[in-house]
Amino acid sequence: MKFRTAPLTLFVFLLVPGACARKPVTAAAKTPAAPAPLPYEARLGKITFTHYCETCHGESGAGDGFNAFNLDPHPRDLSDSQFQKKKSDAELADAIQRGGAGVGLSALMPPWGHTLSARQIDELVLYLRTLPTLRKPAP
Amino acid sequence: MVGADLRATAVPLRRLFAVSSVLFLLVLAISPAKNAFRPYRSLQRQYRKLASSRAHSLKAAQGYEARPVAIQQIWLRDFENRVDRCTTCHLGVADPLMAGAPRPFDLHPGTPHTPGGFDRFGCTSCHGGQGLATTQADAHGSTADAGPPMTPPVFIEAGCGRCHLSESVAGAPVLSRGRTLIARAGCYACHAVRGQDTFRSEAPPLATVPLKTGGEWVKRWLKDPKSIDPNATMPNFHLTDQAIDELSHFLFAVQVPKELAGRIEAAAAEPAGSSANGKKLVSESRCITCHTVEGKGKGTAPELSKIASTASRGWLLAFLREPQAFNPRTPMPRYHFSEAESRDIVAFLEEEFRDFDAPKGILEPLRVNQSLAENGRKLFRLYGCFSCHDPAGSASEKFGPELDGIGDKRAQSLDFGRRTDLARTLPAWLAAKLESPRSFADGLKMPSYGFNADDSRAVTTALLALGAQSVPDRYRYAPPQKPALLPGGPVGGLIQSYRCLSCHQIGDRGADVSTAPLTFEGSKVKRDWLVDYLMLSYTLRPILEERMPVLRMPRDDATQLADALQNFYVDPSLHEDPFAGRPASDADPAEGQRLYVGLGCRGCHILGSSGGYYGPPLTEAGKRLKPGWTYAWLKGPQRWRADVRCPDYGLSDTDALRLTAYLETLRPAASSAKPESAARGVR
Repeated sequence: MKFRTAPLTLFVFLLVPGACARKPVTAAAKTPAAPAPLPYEARLGKITFTHYCETCHGESGAGDGFNAFNLDPHPRDLSDSQFQKKKSDAELADAIQRGGAGVGLSALMPPWGHTLSARQIDELVLYLRTLPTLRKPAP
Repeated sequence: MVGADLRATAVPLRRLFAVSSVLFLLVLAISPAKNAFRPYRSLQRQYRKLASSRAHSLKAAQGYEARPVAIQQIWLRDFENRVDRCTTCHLGVADPLMAGAPRPFDLHPGTPHTPGGFDRFGCTSCHGGQGLATTQADAHGSTADAGPPMTPPVFIEAGCGRCHLSESVAGAPVLSRGRTLIARAGCYACHAVRGQDTFRSEAPPLATVPLKTGGEWVKRWLKDPKSIDPNATMPNFHLTDQAIDELSHFLFAVQVPKELAGRIEAAAAEPAGSSANGKKLVSESRCITCHTVEGKGKGTAPELSKIASTASRGWLLAFLREPQAFNPRTPMPRYHFSEAESRDIVAFLEEEFRDFDAPKGILEPLRVNQSLAENGRKLFRLYGCFSCHDPAGSASEKFGPELDGIGDKRAQSLDFGRRTDLARTLPAWLAAKLESPRSFADGLKMPSYGFNADDSRAVTTALLALGAQSVPDRYRYAPPQKPALLPGGPVGGLIQSYRCLSCHQIGDRGADVSTAPLTFEGSKVKRDWLVDYLMLSYTLRPILEERMPVLRMPRDDATQLADALQNFYVDPSLHEDPFAGRPASDADPAEGQRLYVGLGCRGCHILGSSGGYYGPPLTEAGKRLKPGWTYAWLKGPQRWRADVRCPDYGLSDTDALRLTAYLETLRPAASSAKPESAARGVR
């Protein structure tokens, strides 16, 4: 009788930690599918690009925007990976900041340093870097 | 005997005591042991190793190595005494060294509040989840008895919306779009949301339906409004054919107000006009600034290509002459067409803008059956139609459940009904509710809005932003209100009648269709130019599809409006004459012209026969713009409109003055002084 209580107590003691442990509920974490978005900074950069740059540089950055054909020289093809490889982030930011005239190129590219913040320009560069990957392969 | 008994029982008792003591100690040790094996401890040790290997100096590496393994937390006293322990595992969120490191050690992406704002905002204020928890499952909220789970990353902008209350939030495009869609779809007409008490749907009054259209058209419309007009804001109620029939009879049983009925009937009796002249008038009037024609145009006003199979000739004529008499809240301005001109326009619409596939009797009025109409009246209430079409009726009670706090609803408290296919999460429930609201159970009344996947994601984001508790005052942000001065009297009447605010902004009032806010219009343009422009407007920005309509404003109206703009809508900080007190060399137009070329202004602006299509042409700049304005603009365009694309060149005072002087000399040649007339208007 008395010895039978020992395994019983042991059993009860074992129950205690068992009850303390939480069993995670497996919720099917299936949220509505969405395409893999750009990183947040690049998305902000894209908004800036669409607003300020797209009319000349074009949606894909290929230099074929609505206003491009009024410009001589034409705007740079920013989606060209060769061009992107040649330029460091700092050089791209500098050209945006000081404009074409500031870096010895055409004044038709205006300086944006007084309009956009340094942070916006950094975001823009981040987005520009994604342009070659978004580029559609030639048919 | 007694002693022996005692001894006999004492031995097992002592054994029992010994065993239970050991067990007791073991149980006591469970909690510290559990703590010692918490995943965060090994994560913190991994982090120490990773961070010290990435450190740039020995000292920094030693600093990482010396960090004790302990729970980290951010305590936000001002934010409901919130405590976020997320940084216990997410150790590198504020450490630039950890850019690109694996989760959970990586640097948080840069946002307006990070990396600088962790101390003010913590983590859960944007991401949701359980800040106090120290295991991943509890903190991220996938255990049953934890609080609401974290907001999934695709809806992360919902976090912005908890504090940022305005419709448009900079840096949160998805949230902003969601809020715009909610307002446009008219959700607030049925669902109460804090701060939207004054919302009124833009749905038109239904009083003239019997004289406007026909029974067949109404039935087609009720079946699926978007199939008739893709711009329709009215959702699809998925009505049965019988319900459609009853509702149509109800609509045709409505008494048309005598005065309007008289106008429509008189107009219907007028002789037909010249459709050729109508065609010219329609293209000049730039209807597609607001309307679409076969989907062309950016506006959201009704599609026009089948309008003559929607509305009767009498109604079209009477409406065109005074739209605001038919719908006091219509954004459509009143054009001053002559009687004959309006007949011409309608003749053109009747000839070209009709549905050639429609049955002949589509505009035949319905012969009302009173008992069907009575059933229709009940359906009108049952489906909450009055919420949008009779706003007076919805002011007292909202038809649908309130949406405040929906963003913090627990998935367990949602009725998933028949939708066993859905993940048991709030975002999945909301998305399904938007996509097919009736699929949850029988007898639901919410209509479907035909949102596409992107729209649905945006609306869900905006809904998730409606938290149960309002955030502390010092965290709430609504942009400062810009005062909007709206005169009363005759000028106020003109602004109303021409619906200037349907496109332009004055202060914070008005729509954002035009790129030119009128708030400081009096400081900006010269009076004489303005009078001419109001009487015969032309496009100032060639690339825009939205253009100022030619309202055929009589000279008296134009003068009165121009004078009012010149007197009321000025910025007192601008000097009329920026050259006063400056040396004569500052007003040298030749220097200004050199600057114009050197800065590359021609990249965007047309001057004479060449230049870009981005900004407004400057050929007439001297006739149009006041020098005080031009100077102030050149010194900082964004001061006048934050999102304007004209770059701030950071010009010196002298350079800005010289450029102003040059632009002031730009005037049209005498021959083209009375410009551009209708020829420019025709597209």
